[in-house]
Amino acid sequence: MPENLRPDEAARALTEIRQRQEQVIKLAIIPAWYWWAIAGLMVGFSAAIDSHRRLAIAIGTSVFVIGVLTATARVVIGGMRRTQPRNDLLGPIGVLAILGFVATVLAVSLPTAFALQAAGVRYPATLGVLVGAILMVLSGPWLTRLLQRIMLAKRAGSQR
Amino acid sequence: MIEPRFDELIHAPTRLSIVSLLAATEWADFKFIRDSVGLSDSALSKQLTTLEDAGYVEIRKSFIGKRPRTSARLNSVGRAAFERHVAALQEIVARAGASVRPQ
Repeated sequence: MPENLRPDEAARALTEIRQRQEQVIKLAIIPAWYWWAIAGLMVGFSAAIDSHRRLAIAIGTSVFVIGVLTATARVVIGGMRRTQPRNDLLGPIGVLAILGFVATVLAVSLPTAFALQAAGVRYPATLGVLVGAILMVLSGPWLTRLLQRIMLAKRAGSQR
Repeated sequence: MIEPRFDELIHAPTRLSIVSLLAATEWADFKFIRDSVGLSDSALSKQLTTLEDAGYVEIRKSFIGKRPRTSARLNSVGRAAFERHVAALQEIVARAGASVRPQ
């Protein structure tokens, strides 16, 4: 241990460490357009299914798959071009948060669609997914902020 | 429990910034590190070589299309040294009591 390092210097070094790590974690964002894109693709896909037309279903499925893959690849590759935060910063709580988010969207969409179908409403899948899509657009940025908070809490130099 | 150990090599201001960035990443692009820390290409190369020679950092050179790309990562030895260094800093601050706290 260096005898000449003063506590205030050590504190400054810890602050620098925390700020540099925060700089990396703040880059790990899912842009707002991503949630809109996925939500739009989900609704479009459901509308194609609800149309019961083969051609519409084929086109809707293709657009959905290509769209989701393209949007996801763009977000992932865009982030990796600069840097990729350590995977273990997310931890089990982060993984649970992501799974919980997906489960919540499904838990809202599916019962809504089935309830609408039972009530004889037209386009029940589209309307059910629309509700889930709105939830996704509204709560997606919140999920991003939550994941950043989880990573910030796990970075080196955090209070132990 | 991490054994605190002050690391002179890591503590040098520029290297502390570089290692702190790398500690939060899987891999970091050379340009990202350069721009984040505010170094010239040659200055960053020199610091990364020092860290590589110490066995703390792994450098990867690849091509994206025809463009060369250099990335760096903190390996397990570097990560352990960094964790011990952080623990040493925290110990120094803790010994001083509540009067000195990181921001």
